[in-house]
Amino acid sequence: MLKNTLQQLFSFHCDDRYFSRWPTKRPQQCIRILLQCICLTLLLASSGPLFAHAVVTESSLRAHPVQPRTKTSVLLTFNSGIELALSQVFLVSKGDIHQPVTVKQGRKPGQIIVELPSLDPGEYALRYKVFAADGHLTEDVIHFSVSEPEGD
Amino acid sequence: MEGITDFLDALLGGIDLTCLALAVGSVFWGLFILKPWQRYRNDEAVIVHLCVKIIYLGAFTLAAVQLIEVAVKAWLIAETLGRSPFPAFADTIQFQAGLLRTLFALMLGLFAWASLKKNPHSSEHWTIALFLIVPLVVSGAWLVHGAGRFEYRAALMALTVLHQLGAAIWLGAIAQLLGIWRLKTHNPLIADLWPLLLSRFSALGIAAILLLLASGIPLAWTYINSWTGLFGTGYGNLLVVKLWLFLIVLGFAMLNYRAAKRCRAFGFCADVNRRVPYYIEAETFVLISILFTAASLSSQPPPVDIPDLTASWSEVINTFTPRIPRFTSPTHDALIAGEAARTAIVAQTPSIAATEWSDYNHNMAGIFLFVISIVGLISYNKHYAWAKSWPLGFVALSIFLFFRSDAETWPMGPIGFWESTFSNGEILQHRLATLLAFALGVFEYRARRIKNPDSRLPYVFPILVAFGGLMLLTHSHVDFQAKTEFLIQIGHTTMGLFAIVMACGRWLELRLEPPVGRVSGLISIAAMLTISIILMFYREPLY
Repeated sequence: MLKNTLQQLFSFHCDDRYFSRWPTKRPQQCIRILLQCICLTLLLASSGPLFAHAVVTESSLRAHPVQPRTKTSVLLTFNSGIELALSQVFLVSKGDIHQPVTVKQGRKPGQIIVELPSLDPGEYALRYKVFAADGHLTEDVIHFSVSEPEGD
Repeated sequence: MEGITDFLDALLGGIDLTCLALAVGSVFWGLFILKPWQRYRNDEAVIVHLCVKIIYLGAFTLAAVQLIEVAVKAWLIAETLGRSPFPAFADTIQFQAGLLRTLFALMLGLFAWASLKKNPHSSEHWTIALFLIVPLVVSGAWLVHGAGRFEYRAALMALTVLHQLGAAIWLGAIAQLLGIWRLKTHNPLIADLWPLLLSRFSALGIAAILLLLASGIPLAWTYINSWTGLFGTGYGNLLVVKLWLFLIVLGFAMLNYRAAKRCRAFGFCADVNRRVPYYIEAETFVLISILFTAASLSSQPPPVDIPDLTASWSEVINTFTPRIPRFTSPTHDALIAGEAARTAIVAQTPSIAATEWSDYNHNMAGIFLFVISIVGLISYNKHYAWAKSWPLGFVALSIFLFFRSDAETWPMGPIGFWESTFSNGEILQHRLATLLAFALGVFEYRARRIKNPDSRLPYVFPILVAFGGLMLLTHSHVDFQAKTEFLIQIGHTTMGLFAIVMACGRWLELRLEPPVGRVSGLISIAAMLTISIILMFYREPLY
C-alpha cells in the first residue's frame, strides 16, 4: 500500500515512464525543471549573508559604564563604514520594550554616537540595524547594565 | 515581509555572480581558447556562436539582475527601518556602483548581440569585448566587503575583484565545456574538437587557479591573521571548507588535464570521451558549492575583528568528540516554557531544554542515517534484495524532522506554518531539509526499482544530495552570538562538505563504468556514514 501511495505521489510530478524513454524531451524537461527548482530554492534558502557582517569592534560601554539617572553618549566603533541615514538604534529595556534613540556620526569613519536618556538601574540592551558601506544590513544587540556606583 | 526580502536579495546576489561568470568567463574562452580569428572551420561556427550567445545572455541577465538588486535593497531597507530609504540611499556607493555596473553589463551585452555575433572571427571585436569587461569587473569592487573597510581598502577591493575574475574564468569555461559536450551529442562534426578544446583549456584553467590563489591568500591573511581565527571562527571554518572543496575540484581538473595530455601526446583518447565529461559534471557540483560557500563566507565577520568571540581549540574538538547519543528528549511543554526567556533580548536566559531538544533531534537523525548507510551498503550484495528499500529510511527521517525541527511552530507549536516558514530563514531551511529528505527517499526508492538501464531517475538522488550539502554550507543561525553560531555552524558545514562528496561519488558511480564507478559509489556511502557519525555525536552549545 505504501508503495502504491508513493508511486502515485511520484507519478503526479514526474512519471517514471518519461525517464525510461531518454532521450525524449519529457525527461530532460523534468530534470531541468528539478534543477531549476533546486537552484531557486537553494538561493532562496541561503539568506544568511544579509544580517551578519558589520560588527562592533569597540564600545565605550566597557570603559565608561552608564551611570544611573544620567544622560550618556555611547560611542560604537564598527569594522566597516556605516551609512548613518539608513541606520537605526533602539534602547531595549526589561520586557523587550523598544525605544528609538538619537544617533550621530562619530569623529572617525565607522563610529557612531548613541545618545542614551537618563536610565534607572537595571538590565538594558542596544539593538541596532545599520547599513554598512559594503551593502550589508546588519542587525545585532549589545547588552549592558546600569548599576549604582559602589559605596552608595 | 522582511524574510521574503532577505531571500530575494540572496537570490539576486547568486544569480548576479553566475551571470558575471558566464559573460566574463565566456569572453576569456573566446579570446584564449577558441581564437576564432586565427583558425576558422565551418564546424567550429556552432561553438563560437554558443560562446557569443552565452556572453550576451549572461550580460543582459546581469544588467537586469543588478538593477533589480538595487531596487530590492531599497525595498529591504524600507522594510527593516519602516520608512523610505530615499534620498539617502541614492547617495550611497552601493546605489551608484550598482547602477554603473548595470550600464556596463548592458554595454557588453549590446555589443556582443549587435556586433560580435555578426563578426565572430574578427580579432578587433574580441578585443573590444575584452575592454568592455574591464569596467564591468572593476565596478564590482565597490560592491564587496573591502569597500566598507578602513585599512588596505583599495588593496582588498582589488584583490576581491581579481578573485572574482579567477572564479569567473573557471566557471565560464566549465559552462562552455558543458555546452560543447551537449552540442557534441547532437553534432558529431565537432567531436574531434572536444579533446583539442580540453587541451587548450588547461593553460587557462591553470591561470585561473593561480589568480584565485594569488588573490585569495592575501585576502585570507588580512581577514584572518591567526590560527585560532582560522579554526575558531565561522569565517575561518568556511574558508577551510572552501579549501577542501578547492582541493577536490583541483583533483578533477588534474584528471581532466592528464586525460587531455595523454590524448594529445599518445593518441589515447578513450578517457577524454568516457570519463572527462563526467568529471566535468562532478567538477560543476563542486564549483557551485565553492560559490555558495563563498557567499556564506561573506556573511561572516572577519576573525581579525572578533578576537573576543573566537572559540578555543578545546571547544572545537569538543564539538566532534565521540559520545553516547541522546536517546531521550525533554517534553514539548518543558521546551516551550523556556522559549520566551531564551529569545528575550534583555535578561536572556539560556534554555537547557532547547539545547537537549536540538541534541536529540540531531543524534536521532544520525541514527536514522547510520542505519540507512549500513542497509545501503548491504544492498550492493544481490542476495539481500530487501535492502534495496533503504531509501524509505529517508521518508521516515523526513517525518521525524517534520515534527521535531521547529517545536515552536506548527504542527507542535503555536506559530502558524506559513507565518513561520516565510518570516524566518532558519525555519525555512529546516522545512526545505525535511522536504528534501522526503524527496530523496521517494525518488531513490523508485529509482532502485527501475529495470530500464537508460532511466535518468537515479540522477535525481545525487542532485538532491548536492542541494542538501549546499543548504548545510549556507545554514545560518543569525540570531546567535558569533561564537555560539560558529560552534553550531562547524558541524553543519563539515556535513555539507561530506554531502558534496557523497553527491559527486554517487553521480560518478552512475556515470562511470566499473571499477572507477564502483569506487566512487563506495566513497559516496563512506561519506554518508561519516555524516551520520557527526550527527550522532552532535552537541549544541547552551544558548
